[in-house]
Amino acid sequence: MSKHGRKPDETTLTVWQVVELARHAERPYSMDYIRRMAPDFIELHGDRLSGDDPALVGGIGTWHGRSTMFLGHQKGRSLKERVARNWGMMHPEGYRKAIRLAQHAAKFRFPIISLIDTPGAYPGAAAEERGIAAAIAKAIMEWFRIQVPIVAAVIGEGGSGGALGMGVADRVIMLENAIYSVASPEAAASIVWRDNTRKVEAAEQLQLTSRDLLAMGVVEEVVTEPKGSARTDYDATARALDEALQRHMQQLLAQPPAELLQHRYERFRYIDSLIQAEPHFGPKID
Amino acid sequence: MTGAKLPIIPLPTNCPGCGISLDVEELRKHVYVCACGHHFRLGADAWLALIADRGTWQERYGDVRPHDLLNWKVPKPYQAIIEQLREEGLNEAVRTGTCTLGGRTIWLAAFDFRFVGGTLSIVAGERLARGMEQAAAARLPYVLVAASGGARMQEGVLALMQMAKVNAALGRLDAAEVPFFSVLTDPTFGGTAASLALLGDINIAEPGAAIGFTGPRVIKQATYADLPAGFQSADFQLARGQVDMVVPRTELRRLLAHLLEMYP
Repeated sequence: MSKHGRKPDETTLTVWQVVELARHAERPYSMDYIRRMAPDFIELHGDRLSGDDPALVGGIGTWHGRSTMFLGHQKGRSLKERVARNWGMMHPEGYRKAIRLAQHAAKFRFPIISLIDTPGAYPGAAAEERGIAAAIAKAIMEWFRIQVPIVAAVIGEGGSGGALGMGVADRVIMLENAIYSVASPEAAASIVWRDNTRKVEAAEQLQLTSRDLLAMGVVEEVVTEPKGSARTDYDATARALDEALQRHMQQLLAQPPAELLQHRYERFRYIDSLIQAEPHFGPKID
Repeated sequence: MTGAKLPIIPLPTNCPGCGISLDVEELRKHVYVCACGHHFRLGADAWLALIADRGTWQERYGDVRPHDLLNWKVPKPYQAIIEQLREEGLNEAVRTGTCTLGGRTIWLAAFDFRFVGGTLSIVAGERLARGMEQAAAARLPYVLVAASGGARMQEGVLALMQMAKVNAALGRLDAAEVPFFSVLTDPTFGGTAASLALLGDINIAEPGAAIGFTGPRVIKQATYADLPAGFQSADFQLARGQVDMVVPRTELRRLLAHLLEMYP
């Protein structure tokens, strides 16, 4: 139940209004949460191969008395910062940095928090030239080997493989007005209609709201936002997010690493089990 | 041992590579590679015939079938799309099973671009993951032929999740120290490229294949960039370190058989 006196399913917003809220320029970004959750946060940079990706922030901070690795997409506030951070769209260096820091965290037994807020991986020539597909692929595979608890939260936009590259976790939670989708509504419209102006219809069909994802079993929990959405009260949103992350993390910290990895495997291996339970799908085990 | 004769596939009257008028039977004998080097796209049935030793293909999980989960209606109902493709004799975007290649038992999976653009779907992901788990447990080499536009939009975020599902299983294959050979054909993009296709122990691209994450149309829309000729081609990916080699289809079977002799 919500602290704000509302249940997430009481929304009257249209799907497109939720998309606009998820993308709102005044919505809190990863650093707004990280600074509130871990005021002593120290940022760490670079993939140790070729560069640093400012679209992803990463570093350590003390969270509930424990050194914790924070990773998060970071969109910029000002136009200058937006350009510098590439609107939160990661290049290959970002995924390599993420895995470097995840391995660093595993080495020192720091749990990991991953905050997801990206339209997608950068859809440009430079990312292609440096192997964005393989960088995401490798990251997704490596996340399954990180022997410390990982909780991910979709705080704004969860767009496509660019988001999933940061979203392989033991628990995935979602803010009420965040979205998580196979592709942005514009990209989906462009693929299905060959016309990206059909974005509203695409968004309505994609089932990308937090309620949809909870119903499909893709996320474990929806964190209710304050009345008027996260942008109206950063502190209250951060407290609600912190509480949910902490609750999940506490449960995971009790698990031995082998069990943790097995559960993480099963979480994604059978993520469509609600669908697989349908008789038309066919037998789950031959 | 040789592969089976390839099925007859629909072809244009002239080769898009060199413009020459096509002799279908001649082309079929040359595994649908024109004398000019143009590689025509093959469906999963043709790939299975080309790679498996004749008469050894045993399809698995063909009974795992797709259906519309999201009630996707426009511009075309997803259920109608699936049913129509099924009537045309296509069985999802990935087919998988076991066979021998040069006498050695392997797991083989082939994407089929004709089925909703070879898109990674729940059924495709399920077939791939089950095969990889089986291959890991039985310590059998795994050969993939990729041809895919990416994740399937009509299955929403559950299609996206297949990237994690498949890569989780691929991790098991990797941990079992079983060789994984990935053949990248035209086109291999999006969620398929960003999950299993580029993680082969050996990545083999077909000449002229377009391989990448974001397709050229979307790159142009998003960044207004003019892409140079050959951007995302097999040779481009070879030069950028993403594939080990670019190998004509006419030599592929022999190469895979040879690799299977060299790897445990």
